[in-house]
Amino acid sequence: MDFDFSEDQTMIIDSARKFLEKECPKDKVRKLKEDEKGYDPETWGKMAEMGWMGLILPEEYEGIGMEFFDLTLLMEEMGRNILPAPFFHTVALCSLPILEYGTSEKKRNILPKIACGEEIWTLALTEPSASYEPSGIGIHAISSEEDYVLEGTKLFVPFANVADHLLVVARTSQQENPQEGITVLIVDAGSPGIKTEVIPTTANDKQCEVVFDKVRVPKDNVLGEVGKGWDIVEFILQRASVLKSAEMLGGAQFVLEMANSYAKERVQFDKPIGSFQAIQHKLAGVFIDVEGLRRLVYEAAWHISTGLPSRLLTSMAKAKANEVYKRTCIEGIKVHGAIGFTEELDLGLYYRRTKAFEFALGGTGFHRERVAVELEGYDPLFLRR
Amino acid sequence: MDFRFGEKEEKLRQEIRKFAKEELPPGWLSTMLEEESEDEDWEFAMSIAKKLAERGWLTMSWPEEYGGKGASLWEQLVYSEEASYWGIPGVTMGVGGVDWVGPSLMMFGSEEQKKKYLPLIASGEPDGIWCTAYSEPNAGSDFAKIQTRAVREGDEYVINGQKIWTSAAHRAKWCWIAVKTDPDATKPHKGISVFIVDMKSKGITVRPLINYVGHHIFNEVFFDDLRVPAANLVGKENNGWYQLMHALGFERGSIAGRCYGYNKRILDELIEYTRERGLFREREIRHKLADVAIELETQKVLAYETIWKMSKGASPIYEPSRDKVFNDHILERLAMLGTEILGCYSQIDPLSRNCKWTKLNGHMESLFWLFLGYAIAAGTDEVEMNIVGQFGLKLPKSY
Repeated sequence: MDFDFSEDQTMIIDSARKFLEKECPKDKVRKLKEDEKGYDPETWGKMAEMGWMGLILPEEYEGIGMEFFDLTLLMEEMGRNILPAPFFHTVALCSLPILEYGTSEKKRNILPKIACGEEIWTLALTEPSASYEPSGIGIHAISSEEDYVLEGTKLFVPFANVADHLLVVARTSQQENPQEGITVLIVDAGSPGIKTEVIPTTANDKQCEVVFDKVRVPKDNVLGEVGKGWDIVEFILQRASVLKSAEMLGGAQFVLEMANSYAKERVQFDKPIGSFQAIQHKLAGVFIDVEGLRRLVYEAAWHISTGLPSRLLTSMAKAKANEVYKRTCIEGIKVHGAIGFTEELDLGLYYRRTKAFEFALGGTGFHRERVAVELEGYDPLFLRR
Repeated sequence: MDFRFGEKEEKLRQEIRKFAKEELPPGWLSTMLEEESEDEDWEFAMSIAKKLAERGWLTMSWPEEYGGKGASLWEQLVYSEEASYWGIPGVTMGVGGVDWVGPSLMMFGSEEQKKKYLPLIASGEPDGIWCTAYSEPNAGSDFAKIQTRAVREGDEYVINGQKIWTSAAHRAKWCWIAVKTDPDATKPHKGISVFIVDMKSKGITVRPLINYVGHHIFNEVFFDDLRVPAANLVGKENNGWYQLMHALGFERGSIAGRCYGYNKRILDELIEYTRERGLFREREIRHKLADVAIELETQKVLAYETIWKMSKGASPIYEPSRDKVFNDHILERLAMLGTEILGCYSQIDPLSRNCKWTKLNGHMESLFWLFLGYAIAAGTDEVEMNIVGQFGLKLPKSY
């Protein structure tokens, strides 16, 4: 048992923090709210130069070959600084499943472009059903001789406005078990028949409605096996849930630090308000939550890194992150009082991301249910006598 | 980063599991919440303590020269976790014998004290059982304001005063007591000393305090001109506060793991019960179980973090308080959920655990009625939150 970071990990954390503080100050985050693209291509280029997009891709694909756990730490820093960029989407939602399920040809063609920052990718999973269950996948890909023809609407597709390619989760056959008959297709975002419209989310994070109107996708563009796409979604869900949780952890940590500093500076009744137990216990409660979340996220990330079963822990981490992030923002604002309610205070930028974070890859109820399924099938130790 | 235990710890884990299977009755669920209360439970706990001592586990954290095994913090953690999960009774030698009396004596005790008391504790015999007398009617959270006095007279100290909430005083052979030796000290905590008292001495009266469930766990203890040999002073006169704070570091290693192990067992019992009764069909129950399971996993990794910091040589200040607050929060949720799942059956008096309708040996009821005691004992949640704020967040002292 050892919770120390390696030298490389400490370096990732330090360099990411410095880079993001310089490249992405809060006035830039505010400016990007209004930006059409929603990210800064110049910063994106610098991130690629630092090797971030290929952080855990093998060297043969122009990556750096680090571990999943290291990527978790990088995401934590991005969350701390609320970097608006299609990083999580390109790397977590797309490059990881391509690396796992892609043919060697696809990997050779796609991954180096991702590693070099040339291409932006995203995952088109959810639909107007707004469900992360397999039954929520209704969009059809009808097989013809050479192509699949995609027909239907995907909703809350992040950064589809700037993506070069999409991984589209579609139904290729109707089966009794909703998990079967789902296929993941690699779709060129410029294909005729795709219409993308940005949804005005509070997080200003460029989630889109993507309408597919008889979009032809070559049969060669199936990721993994036809009909077995839900395995890929499960693969993505576990990894992306942890990475999203890490991002939320970074954000929650920063909000806590903001509120804590304010409680030390702000004087009322001739005392710093942090000396009042009502305020102090609020902060202490949040602190305990954030420290717990940190260890839980690290444990889940380590399980993935090590190749151990991770379904239970990843859902535990995301359910916890959902609640802790929300509570930290709310308590942080309360500690600030009226100034916490304004646009000037950076805290609002964090709070505005609450719902985007919470429902990315499943809300608390969804993940609790996944945990419950695991518990139901669990064989208690005391019975194994 | 590595969340795996080493081979040595895994081997110990298996050995303890084997011990639990061989030595505890089938279906045994711990009575750790109230083992001091009933004679029968207490005798069983004592018989197990003896067996733990024979294996060298009872005081495994102690150095070999004092009857221990010099076990690593991680081995201690595994032992605490497993002992609690399986409900192995008798692991503490009363209140504090293993956790702080022994370690304090090793650091501050005289050679004579070490020779006399340490083997007694390590042997697991009833003569090695301690109670700890800190709290007084007027000094609870504000412990430095204790009023029980010890006055030196020749080769003796004369102790007068009253202690309260003294758990296991009715079972203990010895009392580890904090008293005022200098009431005029510049600061209240500078006038405190620690003594060893033989509970059979003249001048001690133990009066039971019965909790609202009907258990006899704690007591009031009165001292009337109790004469204690000066050789029973531990460490230096008026240095007691410092000694006690220092000794706290020893129990920290065991507590969080002990709490996690216990909670995990309760959760496992509830999962099994829920499954047996077909209650997993109910979404509300499923989700509440999931939620508690998430909190438990969090508790586990926080407990491990505390041990990890200690293993790196750090002396954790706020972490044990954090872990205590978190444990109280989990106990409350387990108590609420457990009795909700038991439904009508949770009304059965936990003192009647032999009633044919009692479920899970009455353990959920015990937890429900006792969790508040835990939230108050050894530092109320509110006091612990002050410590987390002051030392974890570096906020100004709030009290």
